[in-house]
Parts: sequence; structure tokens; C-alpha cells
Amino acid sequence: MTARSTKFGVDEKERFMLFLIAPAGIVLVCFEIIPILIGMNASFREWSLVNPQRTWVGPKQYIAVFTDPVFLKMVLPNTFVLMILSVGVSLALGLALASLLNRPFFGRAIMRTIILLPLTIAPVITATMMRWSFNDQFGVITIFLSYLGLPDVAWLSDRWPSFALVIMTDIWIWTPWFTIILLAAMQGLPPEPFEAARIDAATPWCIFRRVTLPMLRPVIIVCVLIRAIDAFRTFDQVWILTGGGPARSTEVFSVYAYVLAFVDLDIGRAAAAAGIGALIMLFVGVGLYRLVNRSMEVSR
Amino acid sequence: MAEVTLQDVVKKYGTFKVVHEVNLNIAAGEFVVLVGPSGCGKSTTLRMIAGLENISAGTIRIGDKVVNDVPPKDRDIAMVFQNYALYQHMTVFDNLAFGLRNRKVPETEITSAVTRATQMLGLEPLLARKPFQLSGGQQQRVALGRCIVRRPQVFLFDEPLSNLDAKLRAQMRIEIKALRERVPTTSVYVTHDQVEAMTLGDRVVVMKDGWIQQIGTPLQIYNRPANRFVASFIGAPAMNFMKVELVEELGVMSAQAEDFKVELPLEQAAVLRKHGAKMVILGIRPEHIRFGIPSDNSGSSFSGVVTVTEQLGSEQVIALNVADSTMMASRISPETEVSPHASVQMWVDAKTLQFFDDKTEMAIR
Repeated sequence: MTARSTKFGVDEKERFMLFLIAPAGIVLVCFEIIPILIGMNASFREWSLVNPQRTWVGPKQYIAVFTDPVFLKMVLPNTFVLMILSVGVSLALGLALASLLNRPFFGRAIMRTIILLPLTIAPVITATMMRWSFNDQFGVITIFLSYLGLPDVAWLSDRWPSFALVIMTDIWIWTPWFTIILLAAMQGLPPEPFEAARIDAATPWCIFRRVTLPMLRPVIIVCVLIRAIDAFRTFDQVWILTGGGPARSTEVFSVYAYVLAFVDLDIGRAAAAAGIGALIMLFVGVGLYRLVNRSMEVSR
Repeated sequence: MAEVTLQDVVKKYGTFKVVHEVNLNIAAGEFVVLVGPSGCGKSTTLRMIAGLENISAGTIRIGDKVVNDVPPKDRDIAMVFQNYALYQHMTVFDNLAFGLRNRKVPETEITSAVTRATQMLGLEPLLARKPFQLSGGQQQRVALGRCIVRRPQVFLFDEPLSNLDAKLRAQMRIEIKALRERVPTTSVYVTHDQVEAMTLGDRVVVMKDGWIQQIGTPLQIYNRPANRFVASFIGAPAMNFMKVELVEELGVMSAQAEDFKVELPLEQAAVLRKHGAKMVILGIRPEHIRFGIPSDNSGSSFSGVVTVTEQLGSEQVIALNVADSTMMASRISPETEVSPHASVQMWVDAKTLQFFDDKTEMAIR
């Protein structure tokens, strides 16, 4: 195809390319860029739905969020603890399960399907199921634990048991995701280095630590990057299980912003909180991305 | 150095047999090459010696020890893989030291063993590099080094030069041969490349469909192939085959086809007479076909039509249509002017001819 220039300096080929990306571009502008700009605008205003004056207040909302003891002492630590524990434990369990499923054994196909099941259930349903299972009065797991003679735990009445339940639910949901991705990665690894290691008298643990893990490193880091960003914006499990309680002690970042926006109807403060969250995610994401790049270079 | 013995070794995947009753004795210090086309079972046989594949039946001995159920690490072997199988995240030094560290060898001994190996292979400047920073040839040299540092009883090579380009392959072939002189160790080398088989092996084992076709020195394999497959597999260009009728007239036996007749020497005629078949397969090596007419009537001449000529600089290879079959003739002088479609006179020394049974395809001797 011969490219013909026009008075706008865009030839036919480029016009066609622009035509193809236009729908995606329009969606991006309408549902991402414009809302972000509106949100940024809102974060610098006193913008309450009960009194919608939209008064320009400068960085006041950001200062209010940063000086809010709930944000500093509950929300931020909770968010990072959830992120680190959920991603870390899911990764460890995923690796263990993937290694198990990577070996031939009877019933492997069924096992693989069963392990995938939690991923097929909506997080809201999983969270509801967990809330019922750990209910103080009639929860199946609570009854089972007391049947074993373990002391009663008020799972949803205290901060740490509630938060542990949130983390456990998140791990329950995401472990299969790690398992499947790591299993696919393991099955794609060349067999020869493992055979060479067997000849080199490496023990199974040594092979896992010194051969498998380094070869999986790029995949692991990409998984951690995606999941860490995703864990930062966890909402549904926390909202359904604890609603951020008791006494806001299990609130994570997205619940905090949601409560400000849709319970307190303080759009300005909520927008500032969301902006702060976006910045934190940006820093975490860039840091992990650099790690990915470096790891790719090393493992190439 | 240890002797390696395979006795009635079989490998089955389910009910499908891929290696059939292999019997092979490899003397201590001997370099044996397993050669054959893809899927012939050569790599499987090597992997069974390494312990990377279980054997379905038979016995494998390394030295005096039966190793059928011995894990690879305890067989005292070292292996070079086709794609090097280096640990990409480790430096060259760590790659070489890995096996020794796993065997709890003291670090000072490891350093001296690695130094010795790297000096031998010219790897000293590369010790701190990682495999992805090395060329294919350098990576294969590191893989060789990984074998040498351990000083095992047996070296196993699984198509180690297949991933290299032609020039580097020739260079590495010489290096492996030189290395053999410096580190004499029992070696089993798998390749599909007949040049590697002929140049490296003390003995060559030709395999097809899981069966050993012939075991012999490179010259035995080349000059006295056991069957038509071996004759066709070894040699480039491949041996020419033609179905011929044996005709005796006035006590002289000749091999005849349409527009083709070669008189056979008395000894060859006697062997063929004893065999008894009337129709046999004639095999002629391309380099035994000469251009023109024999000056001293020592051979038999025949005519053919040139279809293709290949000028190689040092020689010419021509393809001819002779008696409805295509024959390749090599070592034709590069100066000889031959044009396609031309009818040419060729001759062959009857003493160099090979004959194979028409049905079994075994050599007639």
C-alpha cells in the first residue's frame, strides 16, 4: 500500500491505524482519564454531597488524610500487612502446590481441577461463605475447632482474628492463581538443567532452591508485581467479612476511600485518599517493575 | 576409566518398544559413537546409561557394578547435553563447581580442579561471566569443563555439537578429539552426524528403529557395511543403489540392468553364486564412479545422462540417470566440463562394488 500524505501530515496507513485504536481511545478518555481529572479536581475542594459548594481548599484534604490517625495507624499498616502476607503466603503455597502437581501421580488431573475451584468463585461469595463458616454461634469451622478442644475465638469481634480471617480468605482465593501460573512456568522449563543437576548429585531440595527457583524468578516477580498491586486495592473480602470493623480496625485502603465517598459522602476527602493510594501504588509498582527488569536480564 | 557393558537392554514406553535388546561392550578408555537417524533410540540408550531413563529389561554395568537401579549421581558419570544445560543464573566458575560442591569437596580442591579444567579449555577469562554472556562454542566448552572437573569414570555426550554452526562444529570436533588425548576416559557419544561418528569414534554403533545395525571401526562400517541401511547412512553423498540381475555367460558373471552391465571379478562372482539369488541390490559409492573409460580395461564402463552438477571447488558432484535410477558421482575433477542433459561415459572398478540381498537387504559376503 502506498502511503499518501495529506495536509495534516497523516498518511492513509496512519489514518487507518488511528481509526482502529479510536474506540479504545474514546473508552479510555471517557472512563479513565476524565474521571481521574475530575477526581484530582475534587481532591483540592471541599466537596461534600450534603453541602456541594465545591470550595477550592488547596492541599487541605491531603493534609487531613495524612494526619488522620485511622489512616496512619490502621489503614496503611493493614493494607501493607494484607499485601505482604497474602502475596507472600499465596506465593509460598502456590509454589509448593505447583511443585507437587508437576510430578506425575494418580489423580493429578482431578487434583488440578479441585485446586482451581476457589478461583472460579466470586470473592463476594467466598467472603460470605467464610463469614458464615467462622460465625461465633453457628459457624462450621468454629464448631469444629471447639470439637477439637481448642479455645473459642470470637473471629469477627476482635481486630487480629478478624484481620487474620481477611488475610486467610485472600490467600484462599489467590493461591490457585499462583499455583496455575507457576505450574505452567515449571512445565515450560527445559528438562536438561534438572537432569544435569541430578547427575551433579544435587538433592531434591537443592534442585528446587538452586535450579528451579532461579529459573522461575522472572515469572515469580511478574506474579508478585501483579498481585501486590491487586492486593493493595482489595475491597470485597474486607467489606463483606468485617466491613472494616470492629471499630475500623480492619479497614484497608480501598475500604477507607469507599467509606469517605459513599458513607460519609465526602467526595473531596475520598478523592485525596484515592490520589494518595495511587501514588503509593505507583511507587510500589515502579520498584517492583525495576526488579522485574533486572531479574529478566540476569535470567536471560 | 571403567568398562561399560549393556546386556540385552530394552526400553519400552507402555507396550511400545523403542530399544530392542542392545548388547554392547565398551572397553575402558574407548570412545564409542552411537549414530543413527532421529528416533533410532541412540539418545534413549545413552540416557539409560546415565540413569536418566529406567531400563525395561537387561543389565547395565559400569565397571564391575550393575547400575540398573543406581541413581545418576552415584554412577560416576558426567554428561554433556545438546543445549549445554548450563545453570543460567550461575557464573562459569559456579557452573563448574556445582557438582563438586554438592559432593562436599573442600573449596580449595574445587578451585584447583576448576582452574585445571579452565586452563585446559581456555576458559580462564570467562570464569566470572554468566552463560548468557557467552557464545554457543564457549557455552559448550563450559559444559565440557563441567565434565572434566569431576574426573568421572565415563563421559556421556548427547549430540553436543548439534546446536553449533558448521564452522564451530568442525572446530569443537577437533577440540573434543584433542581433549580425549589429554583426559583419556571411557566415552559414549551420540550423534546423527556421520562425520562426527567417523572422525571421533574408536568404534561406531549404527542404530535404526531401536536395533543395533552394526558395530565396528569407522573403516569397517564404511568399507564393509552390514546392510543396505548402514551403507546408505554412512557416506556423503550416500551410496548409490540399483537392482541388478546376475547373469553368467561363458563362466563370467555380470551384474546387469537396462543399459547397464558390469563384469564381476572371480572372487565376488563366487560369493554371489554361493548366495544363489538372481536379483540383488548393487551398491556403488559415489567416489568409485569415474569419468570416462578405464585406460587399462580394469573396470566396467556404462553410460548415463547428467541431470545436475554441483561444483564444490575441490571436486564436482554430478547426478546421473543410469538405467532408470539416479546415481551420484563424486570426486569428478572440478575442471571437467559437464553440462546437464549430456550423455556421458562412466566406469567403476568392479572390486569396489557392494551387493545386498534383495529381500533382507543384508550384505552378501
